[in-house]
Amino acid sequence: MIANKYLIQGFFKNTLLHIFLLTVTISCLFPIFWMVRSSLMSNATIFVDQSLLPHEWNWHNYAVAWTKGNFGVYFFNSLIYTVSVVMGIVIISSLAAFAFSRLKFPGKDALFYMFIAAMMIPLPGSFVPLFVLMNKLHLVNTRFGYILCMINVGLSLSILLLKTFFDKMPSDLEDAARIDGCSRIQIWWHMALPLAAPALAVVVIYNSLNVWNEYILATLLLSDNNLMPLQRGLMVFNGAYQVDYPVLMAGLTMTAIPIVAVYLFMQKHIIKGLSSGAIVG
Amino acid sequence: MRRLVSWMFCAVLAGMALGCAQAKKTANEIEVWHWMTDRQDSLQALAERYEQQTGIKVKIALFAPSDSYTQKVIAAAQANVLPDIYGILDKKSIVASFIKAGYVADLTEAFKADNGAWEKRLFAKAINNNRFVEGNVDKVKPGIYGVPLDVSNIQMVYNRALLKRAGIMKPPATFDDFIADAQALRRVGIPPFVTGFGEMWIVDCFASNYAFNIMGEAKVMATFRGEVPYTDPDWIAVFALFKKLADKGVFMEGIVTKGNKYAEQDFALERAAFSFDGSWCVNIYKTMNPGLDYGVLPLPPVSSNFPMRMWDGAGSSLVVNDLSPNKDKAVAFLKWLTAAEQQTYLAEKTNNLPANRDAHRAFTDVLGGFSKVMENTTHPNIWPLNEDPLVVEAFDKGIQAIMIGDETPQQVAGEVQSVKVRQMGRAARP
Repeated sequence: MIANKYLIQGFFKNTLLHIFLLTVTISCLFPIFWMVRSSLMSNATIFVDQSLLPHEWNWHNYAVAWTKGNFGVYFFNSLIYTVSVVMGIVIISSLAAFAFSRLKFPGKDALFYMFIAAMMIPLPGSFVPLFVLMNKLHLVNTRFGYILCMINVGLSLSILLLKTFFDKMPSDLEDAARIDGCSRIQIWWHMALPLAAPALAVVVIYNSLNVWNEYILATLLLSDNNLMPLQRGLMVFNGAYQVDYPVLMAGLTMTAIPIVAVYLFMQKHIIKGLSSGAIVG
Repeated sequence: MRRLVSWMFCAVLAGMALGCAQAKKTANEIEVWHWMTDRQDSLQALAERYEQQTGIKVKIALFAPSDSYTQKVIAAAQANVLPDIYGILDKKSIVASFIKAGYVADLTEAFKADNGAWEKRLFAKAINNNRFVEGNVDKVKPGIYGVPLDVSNIQMVYNRALLKRAGIMKPPATFDDFIADAQALRRVGIPPFVTGFGEMWIVDCFASNYAFNIMGEAKVMATFRGEVPYTDPDWIAVFALFKKLADKGVFMEGIVTKGNKYAEQDFALERAAFSFDGSWCVNIYKTMNPGLDYGVLPLPPVSSNFPMRMWDGAGSSLVVNDLSPNKDKAVAFLKWLTAAEQQTYLAEKTNNLPANRDAHRAFTDVLGGFSKVMENTTHPNIWPLNEDPLVVEAFDKGIQAIMIGDETPQQVAGEVQSVKVRQMGRAARP
């Protein structure tokens, strides 16, 4: 009787939990499904046809999005920006975080809090000074200038994440490495970086998403179309008065695919990175 | 892992190396910054045509959405790197600050040259939107500071098929006809009228059209000066129009909270028979429902005492950077761009109303309907004075309250007048 009671309770708990999880899953996936579905419709049917699947599948929208949006050039640019910025952030933030965590130098805390405080400044608030600075450095409308700015945008959070990770790294490991003859930079390279792989995965995916989807700073700093990132291509379909929804959705679908692939590829590390930190080494 | 890091490090270096060179502009090149996504291809094509004709390269750079564009222009102004030609998407006081900072060239002389040939070929209303008159509040030297590329105006559009279904063979000529048509539409279950009354400017535009028709421009301006109260019978007649429209079931359900984008969707998808919309709607309806059979007409007048005046949209204008070394070339390009041939091309490709009068002759049907009233349009930007913003807000919100039946025209008139008195009192204080 008691066993039955527990079985029934367990069944209800499980059912409720699964209904909840199912609801969350549907609410997350439905917009993506709707985006793909809309990308296959035509302008004439998108506002009228309320069915889940389009009656006519309009693959032509993808070809239009690719050619009219000039996606080939923008894909290449976004790829360069994402790889360069993410790598720059990984190198600089891991070095900085390691220094903040392991080295003793005057003004260490003040400098660290300055980095963290930078997170509080919203990006649009720094547009004008950033543009003026880049102009003085003759880096406006150059890939290098945009990459530098984007590295700067991603540094604060990445340093915070990695410093938290390095703080929990046992000092015995560092001592052992030093006994084996490692210099500080070798400790960072041979010991700290490999151990920080899960945290680095979080840094990589977070910043990849950020750079891949960035457009506002690119608009500000770049003028040449050939230097613009992928999001610029999407703007072609988003006019002041009218929006070409099916082609825009096709463009959005194509834009989302690489970043979803990166996320799926790294999700194991991300979950580990977010949940670990207590046990290092 | 470390190998991956090493590879990525090389990638950073390669990425940076690929992008260190800043593009240099030649003396025979002018740069245009704009925000008009729908006009990019046509402008680009015209720029190429201009290069073939003159040898001057015109670089057309699109920055959208308009918010990002505005940020870029402000930042570029502060860094003193504005292009030769650009647009300022802001109110006149901001344009004035750009002029005072020396970033906008005074084009009056260019417009007046050759006996005013350039000025004459463009709509005066469109030029006036770029003009600072003698004694302007912004204290800018009087002159013309911008070149209008296109114009727009706001009128009523009607769906021919839906009217026919209700047995209506021709669009309404008077306000009473409009009410009668709306009731006929209701009888066959068709919502008569939709527009974006959730947006204050549309309420303001619709109401001021009728205010001009009922009492004339002079009395409207006298009200702004505080010489005529909002409790005057003519103003109450304006407010009462909204009550009549609401009582007779003219409005589509939810009209008071509807944004214009959604109202445009409703009309395009034949969910309502009439709408009040700008000439830009031609493009929108074409995209959403290419087969839509519709026409355009001015709002049906309620009185024959004064003509019905339609608001024209400010259109899109470009300015010339006064600090540009290529200023003359920039002015020459804009002069060429606003010539009839180029303007006709732009209109054909983009369905926008051109700023050049001669380019309007080719229009037929809907765009022609918008085009033919251009000489009879008006806009708050070109009025000799404007109402206090708080009074305008009370006016528009009051009309919304009338439409949902919360207040009577007399109540709203009283409330608006009390805000007016308060604001005039504040303005009079030393």
